[in-house]
Amino acid sequence: MTPLWRILALWRGRAVWLLLGVVVSLAALACAVMLMTLSGGLVAGLAAGAALAAPFALRVLGPLRVVLRYLERLTTHDATFRALADLRVWFFRGLAASSAGGLGFRRAGDVLARLVNDIEALDGIYLRVLVPLAGAVLLLPVLAVAIGGVDPLAAVAVVLLFAASAFLLPLVSARAAAGMGERLSTAGSALRVACLDALHGLREVRAFSAEGRMLAAVQAQESGLLGAQHELARRGAVASALAFLCAQAGIWVVLLAAGAHPAQAALLVLLAVAAFEAVSGLPRAGVSLGQAADAARRVLEAAEAKPAVPDPAPGGPLPKGSALRFEAVSFAWMADRPAVFDGLTLDIPQGARVALLGPSGAGKSTLAALALKVAAPQAGRVLLGGVDIATLPAAEVRARIGWLSQATHLFDDTVRGNLLLARPDADDAALWAALDAAQLGEVVRALPDRLETWVGEAGARLSGGQGRRLALARALLSTAPVLIFDEPCAGLDAETERAFLATLNQVAEGRTVVLIAHRLTGVERLDRIYRLSAGRAVAAAG
Amino acid sequence: MQTGKRAARLWLRQQTRLGQRAARPAVLLGIAGVAAAVAQAWCAAGVLEAAIGGQGSPAALLAGFAVLALLRAGLSVLAEQAAFRAGAAARRRLRTDALHRLLAAGPAMLRGQHSGELTTTVVDRIEALDGLFARYIPAALLAVIGPALIVAVLLTVDSTAALILAGCGMLVPVAMALSGLGAAAASRGQFAALARLQARFLDRVRGIATIVMLGRAADETAALGRAAEELRRRTMRVLRVAFLSSAALDLAAALALIVLALRAFGHGDGAAVAPGTALFEVLLVPEFFAPLRVFAAAYQDRMQAIGASAPLAELPPAPPEVEPLPVRNVAARGVTVAFEDVRFTWDAARGPALNGLSFKVPAGETLVLAGPSGAGKSTVMEILLGFVRPESGQVTLNGADIATLVPQALSKLTAWIGQRPVLFAGSIRDNIRFARPEASDNEVEDAARFARVDAFAAMLPLGLDTQVGEGGYGLSGGQVQRVAIARAFLKNAPLLLLDEPTAHLDPATEAEVLESLKRLTIGRTVILASHSAAAHAFGGRRLDLRDGAGVLARGVA
Repeated sequence: MTPLWRILALWRGRAVWLLLGVVVSLAALACAVMLMTLSGGLVAGLAAGAALAAPFALRVLGPLRVVLRYLERLTTHDATFRALADLRVWFFRGLAASSAGGLGFRRAGDVLARLVNDIEALDGIYLRVLVPLAGAVLLLPVLAVAIGGVDPLAAVAVVLLFAASAFLLPLVSARAAAGMGERLSTAGSALRVACLDALHGLREVRAFSAEGRMLAAVQAQESGLLGAQHELARRGAVASALAFLCAQAGIWVVLLAAGAHPAQAALLVLLAVAAFEAVSGLPRAGVSLGQAADAARRVLEAAEAKPAVPDPAPGGPLPKGSALRFEAVSFAWMADRPAVFDGLTLDIPQGARVALLGPSGAGKSTLAALALKVAAPQAGRVLLGGVDIATLPAAEVRARIGWLSQATHLFDDTVRGNLLLARPDADDAALWAALDAAQLGEVVRALPDRLETWVGEAGARLSGGQGRRLALARALLSTAPVLIFDEPCAGLDAETERAFLATLNQVAEGRTVVLIAHRLTGVERLDRIYRLSAGRAVAAAG
Repeated sequence: MQTGKRAARLWLRQQTRLGQRAARPAVLLGIAGVAAAVAQAWCAAGVLEAAIGGQGSPAALLAGFAVLALLRAGLSVLAEQAAFRAGAAARRRLRTDALHRLLAAGPAMLRGQHSGELTTTVVDRIEALDGLFARYIPAALLAVIGPALIVAVLLTVDSTAALILAGCGMLVPVAMALSGLGAAAASRGQFAALARLQARFLDRVRGIATIVMLGRAADETAALGRAAEELRRRTMRVLRVAFLSSAALDLAAALALIVLALRAFGHGDGAAVAPGTALFEVLLVPEFFAPLRVFAAAYQDRMQAIGASAPLAELPPAPPEVEPLPVRNVAARGVTVAFEDVRFTWDAARGPALNGLSFKVPAGETLVLAGPSGAGKSTVMEILLGFVRPESGQVTLNGADIATLVPQALSKLTAWIGQRPVLFAGSIRDNIRFARPEASDNEVEDAARFARVDAFAAMLPLGLDTQVGEGGYGLSGGQVQRVAIARAFLKNAPLLLLDEPTAHLDPATEAEVLESLKRLTIGRTVILASHSAAAHAFGGRRLDLRDGAGVLARGVA
C-alpha cells in the first residue's frame, strides 16, 4: 500500500479542494440519511405519535439533499480533475528527467503505453475510494450512538457488520486483487501480439493459407484474457454480494430488536438501510484499489528512476566547434551483458559526412545513445568540440546534436506543431525552407490545410516516406551543427529508401552528418565510411 | 464524414438489437432480484407493523427476510456473471468476425491502412464495447421493467401510492429531456474531451525521447499542465449541465419519499393507509429508483461504444460464403504460368498498373521480371498470389484460369518470398514450421540446414528454439530471408514467387542469399521480381516491364 500513499501525497497541494469535496459529500450524505430516517419515523409515528416538526424537516431536507448531491458531484469532480492534471504533469516531468527518457530511445513504446494505463487506473482513487471511506468514518459513530441509545447489543452487532462492509471487505478484496492487474495486462498484450501477427503478416498468412491457424491463435489468446477478466468480475461480484449480505444482516438485527422498541423501530431500520447503502460500493472499489496498488508501484518506479547520466555542475567550458571524437570508449548496457564497445576510437571531423555500418547488434544505436548522453561510457571519453561531454549538461549536448531514428516520434499534431518542436520561434519562411529541403514542401502545399494539416497518430495520415521526411524537416529546422541519422529508412520499402537517401545528400550543407546503417544502397554521398565490428570501428573504403 | 457517422449509428443499432437478445439471462435474473426485493420489503414492513402494534417480532417474517436476503445476494452474483458472459460473447463474436473480414480482404487492404491501427481496432475498440453489452443494454432494459414491476405490485396494494411512484418515475426522463437534450450532448462532449486529453498524454509519453532530445521537456510539461487545466475548466462547464439530469433523478426520488411519507402522516387517524402499507411503500422507494441509477451510471458505457464503433463499421464487408467447389488439381508435374492481355488498375488517378501484359513461363523455368518501381512487378505477384483479380485478360496455371481455383488450392501450388518476410512471435522452429504445420521435426531441421538457418541459429542462446518476432530476439535482414527460404523449402511448392527478396540486404549478404535461392529454384517454375543487378545474374529469361506491359529481353546467363 505504500506506493499508493506516495501517490496520495502528491495531491497535498490540492488538499483544500479535495477536502471541500469530502465535506460537501458528507453533508449530502448526512442529509440523505436524515431524510430516509425521518420518513421512516414519520410513517411509523402515525401509530406511535411522532414529533410535529418532522413534516416540516422533511420538506426542507428533500430539496437540500438534491442541492447538496449536485454540489457534491461538482466539487468532487472538480477536485478529481485537478488531481488528475497534477499526476500527469508530475509523471511527465519525472519521466523526462529520469533514465526512463531513454526507454523511448530504445523503442519501448509498449512499456510507455502501459504506464499511461497505470496512471489512468489511479484517477478513480479519490472519487471511488476516499470519498465513500470518509462517509463510512462519519456514519460509524452515528450508527453506534443512534442504535446504541435504544439497544446496545444490537448496536454492537450493526457496528461490527458496518465496519466489515466498509473497511474489512474492501481491504480483503484489495489484497486478493493484487497481481490480477499483472495477469490482465500480460493476457492483453498476448492478444495484441497474436492480432498484430495475423494482420502484419497478412501476406504470409494468405500465401501459406494459414487463416484458420491465425484465427485460432487469436481466439486462444482472447480466451486467456476473457478468463482473467472473468475471474476479476467474479471477485467483484462476490465482494459486492458479501457487502450486501452485511447490510442485510445489519437490517435484520435491527428488525429483530424492533419488537422490543416499537417506537424507534421504523426509524432505525431506515437509518440502517441508508447507512449501508452509502458504503455498498466500497468492496468493489477495493478490487480496483488492489490493481491500483500495482499501478502506483510501476508509475513511481518509472517517474523516480535515477537519471542514467547525471548532469555535472554547470559552469564548465562550452565546446568550441562540433568535431565529435570517441576516445578509447568501452561500454556495456548492463554489467552482466557482453560489452558493446571495447576501446572504440572514432573521429568525426566538423562538417564531415560519415557512415557507420555494421550488422544488427554491433552497437550502432548505442553510439548515438553515448553521443546524446542517454548513456555514459564505463571507460574512455566522448569529446564534442574538444570538451568531454561528461562535463557538459545534457541540454547543451542535445542542442548541438540532432537525432533522427526509426524511434523519432511524430506527434498527433499539425505539420506546424511537429516542426516547431525543433525551434519554437521559427517563422513560416523557415518552416517552408525546412520542408522544401526535405522535399516535402510540394506535398504540404498541395494539402488543403497546408501547415495546419493534422498528421494523425504517429504520423498515420502520411505515407511512411512522407513521415520520415517530416522528421527530417524537423531535424533540419533545428540549429544543431551535428545530425545523427540512425537507420533513418528502417521500415521503408527499397524505392522510398533510395529517394530519401538521395534527399539526404542535398541537405545539411556545412553540418556534420552521421549516417548509421546496416548497409549502403549506393546513392549516399559520404566522406568516410566506418565499419563497426567486435566493439571497434574500422575505416572502410570511402 | 456524414455517411461514416450514419454507418456507425446503423451498426450500433444493429449491435444493440443483437445485444438485447444476449442480455436476456442477465435481465431475467435482474427481474427476479427486483421481485425478491419487493417481497423482502413486504417482510420488513410486516415485522415493523407487528412491532408498532405491540405484537413482538413475527418469526416467520424475520426468517422470510433472511432467506430473501440470501436469495438476492445469490441472484446478484448470477446476474453479474450473466452480464459478463453477454459482454464476453459479444466481444468474441465481434473479434472473430472482424478478423475473418480482414483476413479475407487480404493484403491489398494494408496499402491503405496500417496493421498497428487495425490491431487497435480489433483489440482495444472491441474491448471498449464490453460496457455496451455487459452493462448498458441490460441496465436499459431493467430500468424500464424493474420500476414497472414495482408499480404493478403496488397497484394491487395501494393504487394511489402506485400512481405517485409512477409519476415520480416518469419525471426522470422528462426532466432529463428538459435539462437539455443538452445533458446527453454535454456528456458526449465531456467524454470526448477526456478521451482527447488521454490520447494527447499517451502521444507525448510515447514520444518522450524525441521531446527530451529536442530539449523541449520543460515546455511540453507546462503545455500538458495547461491542457489539463483547460480540460478541467471546459469539462466542469459541461458537467454543470450534465449533472442536472442526475439531480433530476435525486429530486424524483426525494419527492416520492416525501410525498408518500407525508401522505401516510396526513391521513392521520383515517384508515386510508395502514402503517404497514405505508412502510412497505417507503421501503420500496429506493428499490424503485435503483435500476434507474444503474442505468444513469451505465450511460457512459454507451458513450464509449459510440466512440469505438466508427472504425468497426468501416471494416471491409464479410466475404461471401464459399461454395464448396471441388479443389482442382492442376499440378500434375510442374506448373506452367501464362498471362494473356492482363489489365489491372489500383487507382484510376494513377493509370493502369498492368496494361495488356502477356507472357508465358513453361514448367521448371525461371522468369526475371525487371523494370523500375511502379512498372507493375508487385501487381503480377499479387495476382499470382490471388490477392487481387485481373480486370480483364486471363491468368492461367497449367491452362486453368486462376479465377476458378479456390484459395487453398492456389496456396498449395505456390511458395512466396517477399521484400521483408514477417516473423511471427514464437521460436525460429515455429516460424519455419508455419509453412507446413504438419511437418516433422526432421523435415523442419532439414529446411533449416538447406537455408543455412542452422549456421546462425547455432550462435543464438537457444538455437532453433530462440524466440523471435514481436518481443523476441531481433534477427538481421539476411537472417530473416534465410528463415523465409527455409519456409519455402519446407512447403515444397512447384511455383516459386520471389518479390525483391534481396532489396534490403548489403551486397555480401545479397550474394549469399541469392546463392541459397538459386538452389531452391531447381525443379520449380520461378518468377523473380527484382531490379538488383546481382539478381539479374540469376539465370533464366528476363522480361522488362514498362508501364504495365512487357518487353522480352534476351536471356541472361
